Amino acid sequence: MLGKQEKNFARLMVLPAVGLLFLVTIAPLLFSLGVSFTNLQFGSPQPLRWNGLDNYLNLLTKDARFLNALWRTLLLVGAGVVAQTVLGYVIASLLFRISRGRTILLSAILIPSVISQVVAGWQGRMIFNASYGPLNDILARCGIKGPAWLASQQTALTSIFLTDTWQWTPFLALIILAALQSQPQDIVEAARLDGAHGWSMFRFVTVPLILPVTGIGILLRGVDLFKTFDLVFILTQGGPGNSSETLTFFTYVQGFKFFNPSYASAMSFIQLILVTIAAKTFLAFIRRQRSV
Amino acid sequence: MDVLKWGSLMAFVVLFLFPFFWIVASSLKSRGEFFTRPPVWFPAHLDWSNYPDSLGRGALKGLTDSFVIAFLSMVISLLLGAPAAYAIARFQVGRENLAFWILSIRMFPPIATILPLFVIFRFVGLVDSYTGLVLSYTVFNLPFAIWILKGFIEDLPREIEEAAKVDGARPFQIFRMIVIPLAAPGLVVAALFTFIFAWNDFAYAVIFSGSKVTPLPVVIAQFAGGHEILWGQISAAAIIAILPALVLATFLQKYLTRGLTMGAVK
Repeated sequence: MLGKQEKNFARLMVLPAVGLLFLVTIAPLLFSLGVSFTNLQFGSPQPLRWNGLDNYLNLLTKDARFLNALWRTLLLVGAGVVAQTVLGYVIASLLFRISRGRTILLSAILIPSVISQVVAGWQGRMIFNASYGPLNDILARCGIKGPAWLASQQTALTSIFLTDTWQWTPFLALIILAALQSQPQDIVEAARLDGAHGWSMFRFVTVPLILPVTGIGILLRGVDLFKTFDLVFILTQGGPGNSSETLTFFTYVQGFKFFNPSYASAMSFIQLILVTIAAKTFLAFIRRQRSV
Repeated sequence: MDVLKWGSLMAFVVLFLFPFFWIVASSLKSRGEFFTRPPVWFPAHLDWSNYPDSLGRGALKGLTDSFVIAFLSMVISLLLGAPAAYAIARFQVGRENLAFWILSIRMFPPIATILPLFVIFRFVGLVDSYTGLVLSYTVFNLPFAIWILKGFIEDLPREIEEAAKVDGARPFQIFRMIVIPLAAPGLVVAALFTFIFAWNDFAYAVIFSGSKVTPLPVVIAQFAGGHEILWGQISAAAIIAILPALVLATFLQKYLTRGLTMGAVK
């Protein structure tokens, strides 16, 4: 048991950190929650007043641009998580099966995941450049006419997805490799002696064993994909039209381009609620899998 | 089988490193080599002038601003994070709730805090200042430092601390004289990661910067969004921005998983 003196000491030790975090997160969020129930808009002639749930109702029932951005963001999260997990698993299991050179290969592959998203975005801008970029040059040499990538409504979001997948697949490969390396060898051996191999080995032994650790990587990726902003800013600015606009980018446009903080605040709260629900559901799913 | 394994791994290495080759090559091209079809893959002469040119156009200011802000953010995260991590790891202060709250801040969409912080910062004059950016980076760096250090401190053997307590050491003495030196590897990991996170950030930087403070990623974005796109200069600036991350990846390989997952995977 802790003595009273120790308890006070512990409280004193967390106080500065908790105080500062309160100031930069909870306090602004409360302020923002309040603003989201008003009609505050800079430069608007209308007097400031409470308008209850109006912003939220407008967003969820009337604002097609918001709902499209939401749908697009979910698509990006889904496609990104699946592609990065599958590719990450392929790379990790290849690395797991080689006996030499693992460290150096991993270091090389991991570089995209430690650089700034602005740099990744800039690389995307050059690679995807329809006229002068290397991607369409390679395609042309194979006899394929490449699309306009960033400048086309059909491919702008795909280009963002490809850039994100390029940058973050190595991150999942790193985590899945760690998971593969920490499988208890006795369980794997026992399963092999019982005749598990190929698909049955993967499905009933490997997946359950690596899921808890891999799940953390998937969760972090899902949350970050939901917040995709930097890549949109650098690659497309949400365009052409609004064809690659994500939720956070639209929130930024509302808040900082249209100077409509009340509407943008309501939007960011909807995102906060969605992320929290999704993360909690996913964690519960992982826990259940682990106990089965 | 070995050929297939190594072949696919090499293909992945090429895939993940190709964009770096492309910007390195671009940073060494001369003006005329950007707008040719097909594009120039290998510049005819290595033209180094893009580097001094991009530094002169604002990348040098970006470099120093980024460095100052990332460094200060790192110092604050460690100074406030280490005591908090010790209290949470050893005294279970706030139990699960406090730890979970700190972790959940990492999940926030940054825009949710950026918007109100901007209004508040504008009111108190912190927009376009070092203080504003350093403060806002604690939103993600402080929770990160606390979680990473908590993990490292939990891994330390308790016996040394208990022996010191029996010898009459006060709690803060134990923290300063025993825990801090023993947790030194954790402090190094936390320091480098918090520095890089601040160094790499764009979302906060683009909104809280202005004419006085321009971190490097913002400079790159400004270059890239201008009327005349300076391909060579931007590529040179991008390469400068990558260098600290390369140092991180090389020196911290052992701790990369732990750092990138906030200590969840050791």
